[in-house]
Parts: sequence; C-alpha cells; structure tokens
Amino acid sequence: MISDAHAGRSYPPTEPYEVTRAKIAEFAAALGDDNPAYRGDAPIAPPTFAAVIAGQAWGALWADDELGLELRRIVHGDQRISHRRPLRAGDLVTATLTIDKVRNRGGVDIINSSVALSTTDGEEVCTASSTFMHTRPADQQEQQ
Amino acid sequence: MTAIAAEVGSEIPVLATMVTRETLVRYAGASGDFNPIHYSDFHAAALGLPGVIGHGMLTMGLALRAVTDWAQDPSRVRGAFVRFTRPIPVPDDAIGAELVVTGTVTKITDGVATVALDVRHGSEKVLGMATAEVDIS
Repeated sequence: MISDAHAGRSYPPTEPYEVTRAKIAEFAAALGDDNPAYRGDAPIAPPTFAAVIAGQAWGALWADDELGLELRRIVHGDQRISHRRPLRAGDLVTATLTIDKVRNRGGVDIINSSVALSTTDGEEVCTASSTFMHTRPADQQEQQ
Repeated sequence: MTAIAAEVGSEIPVLATMVTRETLVRYAGASGDFNPIHYSDFHAAALGLPGVIGHGMLTMGLALRAVTDWAQDPSRVRGAFVRFTRPIPVPDDAIGAELVVTGTVTKITDGVATVALDVRHGSEKVLGMATAEVDIS
C-alpha cells in the first residue's frame, strides 16, 4: 500500500512519444479549439497536451503493484504545468515520473508527483506536477 | 511578436462552452485518459459520484483555451495551475454542462502576466486557485 516511504521513487523514462500533427489536431478539436497555431505544417501543441504524455508516465503508478492503486479510484486533485517552450510536432519526448510526497488521510491516499518531459536529445521541455487522491477500497481502510 | 496590451485588472474575453458526453468521449480518445468515471455512470456511482464527471484536464484545457484565445499565440503560455475543487457532472442528454471561463490579470512581472481564472459550472466554481502565466512582452 502506498505511503510516504515511496516518496522519492522515480520510474524509468517512458518510451519516446512522437508528437504528431494528427494528434495535435485531434487534441485541439477535443477542446473545440481552432487556434491556427495548432494547424498547418509545423503546429505547436496546446499547453495541456503535456498531460497526454505525462499520462503515460502516470500509468507507472497504477501499474506498480506495491502501491496498490486502482485507476478507477483515482481523482485528480490539482495540476501544474510549466513550459520552457511549447511541445511541437516532430518532438520525440520521454516522460520521467517521480513520487514527491504521499499522505494517507482517512482512507484516502494523497499523492504528489511530478513528470519531467524531455526530448530524446536531452532538451527539457516542460514539467507536469500533479496531486492525485486515491480512495482505498473499504477492506483496506480498516487496516490503517 | 507584438506585445499584448494588458495591465493589472485587464479582463480576458469570456469563454462559454458546453461539455457533453460527446466532448468527454472525444477528450478520452485524444488524451488517452480512459478512467471510466468519465464515461460510465456505473463506475462513477461506485465511487459515490452523482454520475459521469468531466476530465479535470479537459476543464483545465478549456480554461487555458480562454487564455490562448486572448493571447492568440499559445507559445506565450509559460505555465498554469489549477485545483480541481468540484467535479462537473455531465448528463447524458442533448444539452450537456455549461462551463464559463473568465480571467483577470492580477500581476505583471518582467513581461509575464499572471491571469487569475474563474471557471464556473452554473453558479459553482469548479477550479480553485486557477492561474496562468503568460508572456505578454
């Protein structure tokens, strides 16, 4: 079960994710956003596209059996995104997740994590820091 | 880039948009976030939610759409923060849930404006402490 003993745990970088024009267009359309910067031959991605790639690193949390987290029990508490530059079509990006802090409160695990997004050339592009709340199943709440 | 004319107190244009189940399906596919609380009333109810709720990142994305509509060039956005304070129930009907985004410049430092965002569903604020940092130089 996740606890503050897991603070500081980092996971290996995700497989490189290629930012494509088609995915940027699909994402912008999902936001109903017709900004011309998201179209054409060399589009940039909307600021929150960073979470699409960060989300692949979040998967490491749900997949880590030692933490005992279930995706369907997760609620997103807060999110910060910091950009050195926008993500662009053609970027090959890896995401590296670190658990920064964990609190357990009344059957809810509060997890602070950060994901660093870098190109495969080593350029740091942005950081996505999140708080997740995980509601433990009833049978595990009794164990506290 | 031409500098954006803004001062403390400047308001960005209001963005009003409808979030429907179709919006959630599109966002799930585009973002890869397939948490079933965003498409299944069954799973939402199992967590004590009133029903399917919108993705927090969709709300953040729509809040920042108001910012980039104002700034025009999205590369001006240096950072953003939101706290997801209230879920947005999205009914399975033809109307959906309305989101209204307003924003005010609260600080300008070294050419970077902090925009405080107010995002509401009806009378309820759905994001807390929502801000964006925008290079206006």
